[in-house]
Amino acid sequence: MITAEQKPIEEIRGMLAPYKRVLALGCGSCVAECAAGGEKETAMLASALRMSARMNGEDVLIQEKTVDRQCVKQFIIPLDDIIGEYDAILSLGCGAGVQAVSEMYQEIPVIPALNTEFLGETRDQGYWVENCLGCGDCMLYYFGGVCPLARCSKHLLNGPCGGSVDGRCEVDPDIPCAWQLIIDRLTRFGALDRLDEIYPPKNWARKQGSGPRKIIREDQQT
Amino acid sequence: MTDSRKRTLALFYCRNVPESNETDRQAIEKAYDERIRLFPLPCSGRLEPVHLLRALEEVADAAYLITCPDGACRYFEGNRRARKRVERTRQVLSEIGLEPERAGIVIGSKESPKTLAQLAGEIFDRICHMGPSPALKDSQAQRRKRRS
Repeated sequence: MITAEQKPIEEIRGMLAPYKRVLALGCGSCVAECAAGGEKETAMLASALRMSARMNGEDVLIQEKTVDRQCVKQFIIPLDDIIGEYDAILSLGCGAGVQAVSEMYQEIPVIPALNTEFLGETRDQGYWVENCLGCGDCMLYYFGGVCPLARCSKHLLNGPCGGSVDGRCEVDPDIPCAWQLIIDRLTRFGALDRLDEIYPPKNWARKQGSGPRKIIREDQQT
Repeated sequence: MTDSRKRTLALFYCRNVPESNETDRQAIEKAYDERIRLFPLPCSGRLEPVHLLRALEEVADAAYLITCPDGACRYFEGNRRARKRVERTRQVLSEIGLEPERAGIVIGSKESPKTLAQLAGEIFDRICHMGPSPALKDSQAQRRKRRS
């Protein structure tokens, strides 16, 4: 899941200042799960912006709508019927959603209401943690399903560093030591020998080496 | 000086609050005329920040929630959740420059339970010092700002 947090309202108001008719556009997928840009949060933000505009004597129309996914063209298309009524879209999607909507509606500015954060997991209600860097070359098998790149504060592929205390990271005791977790997991599976190997530095070319990445699957295309 | 008798209140309440059935609700609405809008909830945990915000936007100068006493929620944690949601609403109000006291929560007491009518009266006393809300649709303050 992609996680995000709402920008401060003052920053959003600053970006919206030139526009009089705004569509606050929520996304019902990842950002709804992390309570940043779903239907409820979109309604809250739109309401707060309308009140703020009134308090400042501004004559602005702010309406709201939420689509199931802003990052998939087919889910954006239904906006075709209403988009002409607005002179800006305030997107509560992740960065991918903002750009997908921008791509669809070239003539209308699409303003981000969220700061996109990381790929993560809902650990508990109201608690999200980063656990994947999207490196393009998954090594979770070797590390018992715990990613040292995402979850070790020092990103060590050949750990542990020796600095953890009682299974907590020396950088911040709130962080569980990823290498402690890796060793515990591999021990449980009887697979500790996977750590006998020395892992070479990560080849980041798979992630960042050749510009924006894309996946093309002809079998999925029409 | 502002006329405190004209403050309006959107009041959400858990149906567990004493004397809060339909007849009681109608009696309170009659007593306060258009100054109060009552929103019964099956549990205060049903309340979302957007309900209070919408109420402040469209309905009233203040929006409050009455919950059942601590430890008395029929759904165990509804009133605990409600408290956090009211706090979140107040943060949003602060962010837009509206007094956070325009949203509030009253937690019922196990020891000395009060009726819905009594609690509504106490909340009116609490909000009476506030001016009309500048965020309320077509409020007086808003009309003045537009004219100036």
